[in-house]
Amino acid sequence: MAVLKDTIIIKDLAKTFYLKSETKEVLKDINITVKENEFLVLLGPGQCGKTVLLNILAGLDAPTGGEITFVNGRPPMGDLGVVFQRYALFPWKTVMGNVEINQKFKGKSKAERQAAAQKYIELVGLQGFENSLPKQLSGGMQQRVGIARAYASESDIMLLDEPFGALDAQTRYSMEDEILRIWEKDRRTVIFVTNNVEEAIYLGDRIILLGGHPTGVKKEYVPDLPRPRNYTDPAFLKLRNEIVANTDLVL
Amino acid sequence: MNDKVKKLLYGLLSVSSLALFVVVWVVLSHAEGTMLPTPTATFSRFIDIMQNPISKATLPVHIWVSLRRVLIAFLFAVVIGIALGVGLGWSEKFNAFFGPLFEMIRPIPPIAWIPMIIIWFGIGETAKIVIVFIGAFTSIVLNTSAGIRAIDPLLISAGKVLGANRRQLLVDVAMPATIPAILAGIRTALSSGWMCVVAAEMIAARQGVGFLIVRGQEIGDTALIVVCMLAIGIVSALLSLFLTKMEGVLCPWQFSKTQ
Repeated sequence: MAVLKDTIIIKDLAKTFYLKSETKEVLKDINITVKENEFLVLLGPGQCGKTVLLNILAGLDAPTGGEITFVNGRPPMGDLGVVFQRYALFPWKTVMGNVEINQKFKGKSKAERQAAAQKYIELVGLQGFENSLPKQLSGGMQQRVGIARAYASESDIMLLDEPFGALDAQTRYSMEDEILRIWEKDRRTVIFVTNNVEEAIYLGDRIILLGGHPTGVKKEYVPDLPRPRNYTDPAFLKLRNEIVANTDLVL
Repeated sequence: MNDKVKKLLYGLLSVSSLALFVVVWVVLSHAEGTMLPTPTATFSRFIDIMQNPISKATLPVHIWVSLRRVLIAFLFAVVIGIALGVGLGWSEKFNAFFGPLFEMIRPIPPIAWIPMIIIWFGIGETAKIVIVFIGAFTSIVLNTSAGIRAIDPLLISAGKVLGANRRQLLVDVAMPATIPAILAGIRTALSSGWMCVVAAEMIAARQGVGFLIVRGQEIGDTALIVVCMLAIGIVSALLSLFLTKMEGVLCPWQFSKTQ
């Protein structure tokens, strides 16, 4: 594999919430170097602070310790692509309205932003649904809109926070293939958060396993498996068992 | 049970409640010593006032006079109420400044304002419009500010990461997300405005349904009173129906049933 350039360096990152009655240490000593155009998976059990980490990366929250360095400078708000678990589409806007909004906020002309939005709507396979409202679409289709909207930021960096967590298993499998297809067609740095081990192995170039109290980096895995990966491949299952054995249980 | 039968059955239930109402009315009005006019007497009084004016106006004119007062006041209430509600819900500074004052003035019933309003504005149109305004305005303010505060924080986060500045966050994210709550406020405002206009007209007016109802009381014309009461109820129901249609047009993502 070619040597990839670093794009985000997370160093000694910590996040503590100071509540009225207690101090809650959520993240501690997080050190991750994200490579350019890689598909990086952050894998961790539920409630471990993955979303907090992603919110800090997205600029929605500030760390209480350590720092994040974007090699090309921290992109301003609106210049990072973010996909949320609960889609977070604007229900009053059509598919087109949702996908074009980022460039609208940036003041692009209507023709320009709609042409760009059209490109990303087609990238996620939703041509013909431009004028539909989110509630008229299935969960999988709504999340495609979420992905198109994030891609329309034309950011080099995409943050996906358990994007398929709310989908049924069947749709989830097809969306996993879909996100790989999109990523291969339009290469960007992807940071993909999940709590699902199979999903992590199926997708990731690298998997960062998070765990412990407070949450830190437990281990890094590099699945040496060609794509498309096979869930029943012995090597896949071996890696799966290895990761599961190392994962904190959340009951 | 299939949908058609269900629909028919529910339709029958609605009709039978109205029928029961009329039957009870007939029975009560024929009881001895009752002051309740019979349905036939009420109906003929209705026909009469459609043709022969009282205080220079037939029933539709009285209804229109009242409705006009409500609509003018309502227009002001919507504009000022939404602006104030957005301010209270969106800006902590604005809320800290105006919140306590609003909370203190809000619980005063609109009717309690009537004497002061008459002293200030006399008994002309302005006085009635101001009273209706007070009645309509608070529910719009309350619903708007509560609606803004209840927006899913995820939508605000989405707006921020999509690059919205504070003004865009308000206009393109917070305001549309609040439309359903504002419409709920408008619904309450319109019905309380309609109630207030009748109350205001009962105290001082030369035209309007509230005036007409008091005239009925003064001359002992119970049929006229009942005609007015029914008219008030029917107009209110029609306004509500109109708003339901408006909700479907104004925010199809929330109210429209079409999939």
